[in-house]
Amino acid sequence: MPLPPFWSLVEAHGDELLVHAKRLAGDQHGEDVLQDALLRALRAYPKLRHADHLRAWLYRVTMSAAMDFHRSRRRETVMDEPPTVSTYDTYDDGAFEALIAELPESARSALRLRFVDDLDYDGIADRLGCSTVAARQRVSTAVRSLRETFA
Amino acid sequence: MTPLPDSLLESVAAAAVREGLADAVFTRLSSPIGKLLVVNGPDGIVRLAFEEEAEDRALAEVAAALGPRIVASDRELTAERDALSEYLEGGSSVLDLPYDLRLMAAPFRHKVLEELHRSVRRGETVTYGELAARAGNPKASRAVGSACARNPIPIVVPCHRVLPGSGGIGNYGGGPERKRVLLELEGVLPTSLTP
Repeated sequence: MPLPPFWSLVEAHGDELLVHAKRLAGDQHGEDVLQDALLRALRAYPKLRHADHLRAWLYRVTMSAAMDFHRSRRRETVMDEPPTVSTYDTYDDGAFEALIAELPESARSALRLRFVDDLDYDGIADRLGCSTVAARQRVSTAVRSLRETFA
Repeated sequence: MTPLPDSLLESVAAAAVREGLADAVFTRLSSPIGKLLVVNGPDGIVRLAFEEEAEDRALAEVAAALGPRIVASDRELTAERDALSEYLEGGSSVLDLPYDLRLMAAPFRHKVLEELHRSVRRGETVTYGELAARAGNPKASRAVGSACARNPIPIVVPCHRVLPGSGGIGNYGGGPERKRVLLELEGVLPTSLTP
């Protein structure tokens, strides 16, 4: 399947990505982070090897953009920290693993199911052997921990 | 969920164009002949679609030819929007926008549409047979018909000005009623059609 026109992804998923960006970077910075994320996604888009799970891919790009936003803010106060540059320009699984490396395994597995395997909460509940509500909570706690490791 | 603010979308599109990241830019325009989808590539308008056409299919056609990095922006296409609006509202007598017929790959059809754009001005019409002759093959009036039917850029490449030699208004990709409106706008409804 060829890659769909980029803007049809933006129109289909933009509003939920904004919620995601605000959760990761705060209400005040959500729009800036999403704008950065969409441009990163556009740069990487033609390099994607397949057109599967594009929604989950956009979530991962938004996560990277949010984490870089936190890093750059932290650098403004701690001057001796060397700048980190995202070199993972296609935001593939390897880049995502590096992003979540410091989290406990339970958080990592929840994030992988949601943002790599692109499962909905029913599917995640199935895989984790818990209720849908609990699955939602696992993902949301994991997203919060991720934000806290960077913010 | 709140929809994305237009300002955010316009900023993304503007930055994409500035950085050379956009393969094509599109806009949706309301006009007296209905909603139009206008898609601009690096060399001009590549696709124009009436509202009956599936937008995702029209955009997918463009993506296949120009690349998938397609963004929407009213602001980046202000000149195209203004020119089309003025023309269709009757305020302007010329429609002179850069265009690019790369979506019409078949060589003879391509030639037909280029010839049509070059030689049939506002206020004029041509028959299928005559246009076939001008494009170098007088016997190919049916091929001219299919070139017009598949014209990727109606209005700009004026296939509404091509009429059957036998009289009547003939077919139109956007429907005969729209063809009639466009010809009325240009003041050239054939006498055979006036009541």
